[in-house]
Amino acid sequence: MRLNLKIWRQAGPNAAGRLVDYVAENVSPDMSFLEMLDVVNESLLRKGEESIAFDSDCREGICGMCSLVVNGVPHGPDRGTTVCQLHMRRFKDGDTITIEPWRARAFPVVKDLVVDRSAFDRIIAAGGYVSINCGGAPDGNAIPIPKDVAEAAMDSAQCIACGACVAACKNASAHLFMSAKISQLALLPQGDAERERRVVAMIEQADAEGFGSCSNEAECEAVCPKEIPISNIAKMTREYVRAVLAAK
Amino acid sequence: MSSRIRVFSTSVGTKLLIGVTGLALFLFLISHIAGNALIFLGRDTFNTYSHTLTSNPLIPVIEIVLLLIFLVHIYKTVTMYLRNQQARPVAYQAKKSQGSPSRRSVSSLTMIITGLWLLIFVVIHVKGFKYGAYYAVDGADGVRDLHRLVVENFRSPLMVAFYVVSMLIVGSHLWHGVSSGFQSLGLDHPRWTPRILAFGKAFAVLIGGGFILITLYVHLFGGQVGQ
Repeated sequence: MRLNLKIWRQAGPNAAGRLVDYVAENVSPDMSFLEMLDVVNESLLRKGEESIAFDSDCREGICGMCSLVVNGVPHGPDRGTTVCQLHMRRFKDGDTITIEPWRARAFPVVKDLVVDRSAFDRIIAAGGYVSINCGGAPDGNAIPIPKDVAEAAMDSAQCIACGACVAACKNASAHLFMSAKISQLALLPQGDAERERRVVAMIEQADAEGFGSCSNEAECEAVCPKEIPISNIAKMTREYVRAVLAAK
Repeated sequence: MSSRIRVFSTSVGTKLLIGVTGLALFLFLISHIAGNALIFLGRDTFNTYSHTLTSNPLIPVIEIVLLLIFLVHIYKTVTMYLRNQQARPVAYQAKKSQGSPSRRSVSSLTMIITGLWLLIFVVIHVKGFKYGAYYAVDGADGVRDLHRLVVENFRSPLMVAFYVVSMLIVGSHLWHGVSSGFQSLGLDHPRWTPRILAFGKAFAVLIGGGFILITLYVHLFGGQVGQ
């Protein structure tokens, strides 16, 4: 396949960026999207040009590093996949593909398609953990958790913090990301002790980072590689109301 | 822990306030259209209803509460909109919706525009009716002939066109707004959410369409059919 690419190039955080046209030759339909970019980069290096910077790590859809907006959709056209799991058979010979970075004030561009997502780390550091000291490993059956509750917590825990929810939201809101962690921990007895403090701290941190508010459009749910639903955001709202009412 | 005031300035607290005030305005619209529909029963019924309503001593209190709800809804949505605009300073070159399960629609993308139109509409609407010309009903002391005012206001095709467009905009605002209001309050349930979404859209059509029907009926028949 031969593809026309329009790729966002930006030399640094404060440099002006623009879309640059490239042609990808001899693309195999079996390549992943990132392998296709690797091939483009190799040809750029051979020509003595600077390669295109983009993030990736595991390339098997579980680490949350890859972060490309493909033709206007974060992680590309397939539902429930990261862009590293998107394959070139999804495209046709001669297609034009636009590739951009996540765009949000809280995710500044580092270079080309790489953005700084440490705002997510600071939100987690504000309360997305369990800090109670529980001593040695307890007996497996000492804390009974019903299976359906454990399943629901696991569904929320699937979030890989890639930031596609922010990239897709018209308000660049981080609510789906935060709410997944808040829901997961609120459902489990280990997270219960700090649930009020956690929800307030994480929401205030996200606001301080410059993320927007939820649009209730569920565009985040549609692009989430782990298909985390916005019912988590409603759960976060209920946790917030609970925390406010319980405030001393 | 946050103070009670700061609670409503966070992103989630803001949505809570917008949701509560929005749903309160939605309930007001239901009562408004139910009252207005009495125009189909003729002039006397309509005037008796409007007189009973406006002569109720609680009405000034309710009006002030309604005004406050309006102002909170407008203030919170406009400030939230401005904040959200800052959250993405560099726009995408190409952006499109992923489609289902996204609920994005023309309605959800234009809430701020339809909302601001409705603000202008409400000013003109209240000026034209509540503070419009005073006609007295013959032989009934102190009873305002609001039916006549309605008929006279809707004689002008320009005014009718403005109302029809504004009611289409009301419908659009409710199309996203009603279900969104429930969502903002944290009400989401696998069984109930699909019903709330359908309920919101059905009421958007019923309320927008209902008001248009009333406007056209008064314009075309002068509110006289069934007399």
